[in-house]
Amino acid sequence: MTLPCLIQFAQVHEQFRLPELRSIAELNGIQLDIPEEVDVKRPFMIINLSSEDDAKILAARCILIKNVLELWGHGESYEVLHGRNKENMPLWQRYATDTTFKFLVTAYNHSIHKARQKSIMETFDYMAWEGRIDLASPEVTLLCTEEYRDRGNSHTRAKHEGEGSFRQVYFGRLLAEGTARDLIQKFDVKQRAYYGNTSMESEISLLMANQALSAPGRLIYDPFVGTGSTLYTCAQFGSYVCGSDIDGRQMRGKGGVWLLQLSERRLMGLDVTPGIMRSAAQYGVASLILDLFTFDVTRHPWRSGGIFDAIITDPPYGVRAGAKRLGKKDKAVINDKPPKPGNADAPAHLRPNYIPPTKPYELSELAVDLVALSVHLLKPGGRLVFFLPTVNEAYQDVDIPLHPHMKLVSNSLQDFGNWGRRLVTMEKLSGPATTDPAIATTIHVPAHKDFREKYFSGFRHAMNLKDPNMMNERR
Amino acid sequence: MVRLITHNLLACHAKGCTTNNFPLVFKDVQLEIRESEMNPEFLRNFYPKLEWDALVKTAEQLGDTSLPKTQPPIESVDEEFLKALHHVLLEIHVEEGAMTCPNCEHRYGIVSGIPNMLLAEHEVA
Repeated sequence: MTLPCLIQFAQVHEQFRLPELRSIAELNGIQLDIPEEVDVKRPFMIINLSSEDDAKILAARCILIKNVLELWGHGESYEVLHGRNKENMPLWQRYATDTTFKFLVTAYNHSIHKARQKSIMETFDYMAWEGRIDLASPEVTLLCTEEYRDRGNSHTRAKHEGEGSFRQVYFGRLLAEGTARDLIQKFDVKQRAYYGNTSMESEISLLMANQALSAPGRLIYDPFVGTGSTLYTCAQFGSYVCGSDIDGRQMRGKGGVWLLQLSERRLMGLDVTPGIMRSAAQYGVASLILDLFTFDVTRHPWRSGGIFDAIITDPPYGVRAGAKRLGKKDKAVINDKPPKPGNADAPAHLRPNYIPPTKPYELSELAVDLVALSVHLLKPGGRLVFFLPTVNEAYQDVDIPLHPHMKLVSNSLQDFGNWGRRLVTMEKLSGPATTDPAIATTIHVPAHKDFREKYFSGFRHAMNLKDPNMMNERR
Repeated sequence: MVRLITHNLLACHAKGCTTNNFPLVFKDVQLEIRESEMNPEFLRNFYPKLEWDALVKTAEQLGDTSLPKTQPPIESVDEEFLKALHHVLLEIHVEEGAMTCPNCEHRYGIVSGIPNMLLAEHEVA
C-alpha cells in the first residue's frame, strides 16, 4: 500500500531535514519513497509512505517535522487542487458521512484573512461533510495550506499583501503532529540544572542524537563531552551513554570543590554530585549515563575496539574554547622520566591536584584523528556524528576527512554567514574490526585548518587560504 | 559511577605499559548501590565483549560473589542470570577511591564517581 503524504517541516535547519528523516526511517525500518528532486529550501515535501503508522513514528521522533498529512490534493491553483481531490474521492469518502471534524486553513510565509479562510472552506462544499464540527477533539482534522514564496525583509508589507498569489496549495487529512519538537523546550539549556557557556543548544543536540540513531540498548560515547549536552538527548531516546573530557572541571562544575577530601566536602554540606549528573537527574536519565572520565582522547584507556554503536561529539574548535591534548608546546622539553621523590613531599604528579601540561590540538588534525579513532572504537555499522566548523567561502567537500572504512552518510551546514558548522554523519563499514587505529593520510589542506585564527581575522582572506602556499606567505 | 561495565573496558594506557595492565585494581573504595532498569537485549549484545575473568575477580574484590567463575555460554543464559549480571555490571557504583595498574602501579584517583585518567608528563609518549 502506498500512502501519498505531505510532510511540513519546521522553518529551520533546512539542510538537516532529509538526513534526519532518513536516519529515523532507517532506525525504524521505514521505507521512504523520496522524490529524486527535492528543493530542501521549501518546507513542504510530498512523499509516499507505506502506512499511517509510519507517519506517526516519523512525526513522533523527527525534531524538524511540524506535521504529516495524507495528501488528497495539491496544485498551483485551487482549480488543480480540487481536480485532484475529486479524483481521490475513494481516500476521503469514508470520512464524509458521520465523522466529527475540524477544518483548518493556514499558510506558510503569509497570514490569510479570516474572511478568505471561510470562503476557501466553502470551495470544498462538494465533499458534502455531514459529520459534526468538533474543534476540541475531532476524529479527523482537515488541513488546507498555502505556500508563499520568501519575500525577504526588504520592505514592510501590509498584513495580507499578496493574498492568493501562492506558489502551491496543499489539502489533506492530518495524520500526525510533530510531537518531538516539544523536546526542544524540555532540553532548553537555560532551564538546565548545569550547563556551560559553550553548551550546545537543545534543538541541535536532539538532531545529533537522531543522526546517531540513539535507541534503547545502544551504547554511545562522546569523547569531548564538555557539559554533557549530547548525553542527555541520546539518553532521552534510551541509549546508554558515556563521556570523557580532558578537562574534568567541565563535567563537574563548581571549580575546586572536588579537590577537597570527600569527608571535608560532606562536612561542609557541599553537593558533590557532578554537574552533568545533576542535569541528567533533572531529565530522569541518570541511570543511563554509564560513566564519565577525565582523560585525553588521544591517549585513551579503552582496552579494545568495536565497543560503541555511535560516537557523537561537538569538538571544541577554538572560538570560545580550544581543544587541548596532553603534551607541551612546540619547543618545550618533555620530562620523560618520573620526577625523583627528593623531599618529604610526594612527587608533583602524585599529588591530588596535579594537572599535567597540555598543548593546543589543531582542528584539522583533531578531525582526522576523530575519524580514525571512530573506525577503531565503533561496531561495524556504527555511526560517527560530529560538528566541523568551516569557512563557508573556502569550504570544499574534500575538507571532510575520509577513511577507507567509513562511508559518508550526510553533511549538513548550519550557516552563520562567513562561517558555519557542518554536522557530519559517517557509518563504519562492515568487515573485520580494525585493531590498529591507522591514521588517514591527507595532503589536502581543509578550509577549517587554523579555524580559530581565521575566525578572529574575520575570514578576510578566506578564498586565498585554500592555497597552503598563500597561507605561509601571509604569516 | 565507576561501574563495572566500563571498568571492564579500561586498561592502563601509560607509556610503555602494555602487558599485565588489565584489569585495574580498585583501592580504598566507597561503594553505592543504585537500582536501575534492566535491558536484557543490551546485556546479551554486550555479553561477548566482556572479559569474564576480570569481571568476576573485580566483583569479588568489591564483595560480590554472585557470578560463576566460568562464563556460561550465551545460549544457556536465563533471566535470573541476567538479573545478577545487570546488578554487577550496572548497579554497583564506585564513588570514591582509586584504580591502580597491576603492572606500573599508576594510581587513577576517583572523585565523586569520576576517575582521573590523565597521564603525567613522563607517561605520555
